[in-house]
Amino acid sequence: MAVSAQPLRPNVASANVQLPGVEDYGQVDREISATLNPSKGWFAALGVAILLFLWGAGTWMYQIYWGLGNAGYNPPVMWGVYIITFVFWVGIGHAGTLISAILFLFRAGFRTTIYRCAEAMTVFAVMTAGLFPIIHIGRPWKFFWLIPYPNWRLIWPNFKSPLVWDVFAISTYLTISTTFLYVGLIPDIATLRDRCTNPVRKRFLAVLSLGWRNSEPEWRHFARMYLFLAAFSTPLVLSVHSVVSFDFAMAINPGWHTTIFPPYFVAGAIYSGIGMVFTIIIPIRKFFKLEHYVTINHLDAAAKLALFTSLVVGCAYLVEFWVAWYSGNAFEKDYFMNRVFGQWWWSAWIMLTCNMIFPLSLFSQRLRRNPTWLFILSILINIGMWYERFVIIVPTLAHEFEPWQWSGYLPSWVDTSILIGSFGWFFMWFLLFIRNLPVIAIAEVKEVVPPRLRSHARGTDIDSSGHHRDYGTETPGEFD
Amino acid sequence: MTRGLVANFRELDATCDAIEDLKARKIEKFTVYTPTPRHEIEHALKPPISRVRQFTLIGGLCGAVFGYWISIWTSDYWALVVGGKAVASWIPYTIICFELMVLIGGLSTVYGMFILSRVPKITQTVGFDPRFTATDYGIFVEAPPERLKEVEALLRDHGALEVRNER
Repeated sequence: MAVSAQPLRPNVASANVQLPGVEDYGQVDREISATLNPSKGWFAALGVAILLFLWGAGTWMYQIYWGLGNAGYNPPVMWGVYIITFVFWVGIGHAGTLISAILFLFRAGFRTTIYRCAEAMTVFAVMTAGLFPIIHIGRPWKFFWLIPYPNWRLIWPNFKSPLVWDVFAISTYLTISTTFLYVGLIPDIATLRDRCTNPVRKRFLAVLSLGWRNSEPEWRHFARMYLFLAAFSTPLVLSVHSVVSFDFAMAINPGWHTTIFPPYFVAGAIYSGIGMVFTIIIPIRKFFKLEHYVTINHLDAAAKLALFTSLVVGCAYLVEFWVAWYSGNAFEKDYFMNRVFGQWWWSAWIMLTCNMIFPLSLFSQRLRRNPTWLFILSILINIGMWYERFVIIVPTLAHEFEPWQWSGYLPSWVDTSILIGSFGWFFMWFLLFIRNLPVIAIAEVKEVVPPRLRSHARGTDIDSSGHHRDYGTETPGEFD
Repeated sequence: MTRGLVANFRELDATCDAIEDLKARKIEKFTVYTPTPRHEIEHALKPPISRVRQFTLIGGLCGAVFGYWISIWTSDYWALVVGGKAVASWIPYTIICFELMVLIGGLSTVYGMFILSRVPKITQTVGFDPRFTATDYGIFVEAPPERLKEVEALLRDHGALEVRNER
C-alpha cells in the first residue's frame, strides 16, 4: 500500500486560516479596542514621525522660496527623487486595495486580520504620493490647472496627456480607497461608541458611526455595498499603476517605450505594498500583543503572495533585458548595458538583489514563518522597490539618444530631506490612526470566531460551551 | 408611538429559532441585530436581495458617459489640432471614462447603502441595546399591546437573556 509522506510542518491553505486563540466576541472587542490606549512607545514614535515631517515640510518651504534648482536636478535629468518617490508611494498603496478588495473577492481568509492595516496604509500612502507631483512642479499653487474646471480663460486640460490621466487615476483611487476604509470602519466605530465611557469621545464616535446599530437590514445592504465596492476597486487598483506606467511608456525614450510596463508596474506595486504591510503589521502584532490575531499562518500566506509577486517582478526584469537584446535596437541595448554594467550598475544591482535574490528565501517555510526575517526582508523590499523606480527613471533621462546629452544625477540635501519627510508624514498619520480607530477589523474577526450555540451538534470543532476546540500542538505554527 | 419588546440573546441558534417562530405566528414587524453578519440569520429571515446594485449600475453608467462627454466636449471646445490625428480620440478618453465610472459608481454604491439602510440615524435608542454591537444578538419586536405577553413568552422560551419593554 502506498503511504504518502507527511510533511513535518504541513502548509495551511490560505483560505482556511483560523483564530484558535480567540474564544468569543467579548474577547475580540476587549483586545482590539485595547490598542487604542496610548503608550510611551506610541508617543515616542509619533514624536519622531512629526519631527521628520516638520524637517521635510521646512525643506519644501526652503525649496519654494529658493526654487527647484536646489533639488538636485541636472539637465536633462529633470525627473528625480520626487517622481521616483511619487511612484514608490503609489505602489505602496496598492497592496492595501489588493488585500482588502481582491483577496475579499477571492475569499482568502488570511486577509481578515491584516486588511484594515493595509487599507489605512493605502490611504496614507496615496495621500503622500499625491504631494510629490505638486512638489515637483515647483509652483505648487498652480497644480489645479490639471483639473478640468470652467475658467475665465476658457482653457481645458489635454485629455490625451498621461499626466492628466494620472490626475484622474490618483484622485479616483484616493477617493475610493478612503471611502472603502471609512465604510468598513462604520460598524467598528459603532462598537467603540457603545463601549466608550467618555461623553465627549462617545459623541464624536456617534457622529462618525452615523448611528449604525448592527441591524440585519444594515448588514444586508452593507454586505452588498462592500461587494460592489470591492468589485470596483479591483480593476481600479490594476488601472492606477498602469496609468502611472503610461507616464513613461508613452514616451519614446529607451527603457521607457515598452508595452510590458503596465503589468510590470502593477506587479511591482503589489510586491512593494506587501513589503510595507510586513513593515507595519509585524511591529503592531508584537507591541499590541496581537499574535493570536495576526497569526504565523497569516504571515505565511502573505509571504507566499510576496514570493509570487517577486517572481513576477523578476520575470519582468529578465523580459526587459531579453526584449532589448531581441529587438536589435542599438539604443535599447546600449541603455540596458549602461543600466546593469555601466554608469548605474550599483543602483541596478541593489534593485536586482533586493527584489529578485532575497525574496527567494521565502521558498523556505521556516523563513516564511519567521517574523524577524519577514521584517528584515520587508525593509529590503522597500529599499529595492525605491531603487527600482530610480533605475527606471534616472538612467533613461541620463542616457538618451545623443551622447552630448548624457549626464549624471545625484539628489541634493533638499530632495533627500523631502523624501525622509514623506516617511514622517506617512507614519504620523498611521500612528494617529492606530491610536484612534481599531487596527484590526472587529466585525470581520467576529465572523471568523465561531458563534455561541445552544445546541452543539452542528460541528465537531465546537465544544460543549460553544467555543472552538483547541487546535492542539499538531496545528502548524499557530503560536510559534 | 412605537411599542414593542427588545430581547437579548447570547446564542445564534436561539436567535434563529426565535425568528422562525415569530414568522410562524405571523408577527412580521421585527428588527434583528447581530454583532457580525451571519448567514444563519439571513436564512431564517429570507430577506429580499439588497437594491444597492441599482445605485451601482446607474452611478457607473452616469460616470462612464460623463467621462467620455467631458473629454470629447473639451477637445472640440479647445481643439489641439495635430495633422492627421483626430481632434477627439476615444481610445485615450476610455481611461477618463473608466476612472469616472469607478468614482461615481463607487460613491453612488455607498450612497445607495446609506439610503436603503436609513443611515445616518439621528436617534438610535428606540429598540436598540448597546450590547448588540458587542456580544449579543437581539430582536426588537413591534407588536400591538394585546400581543406583547405572547411575544415575551415566545422570546423567553427561546432563551432570551433579557426582555424589556420599549416605550
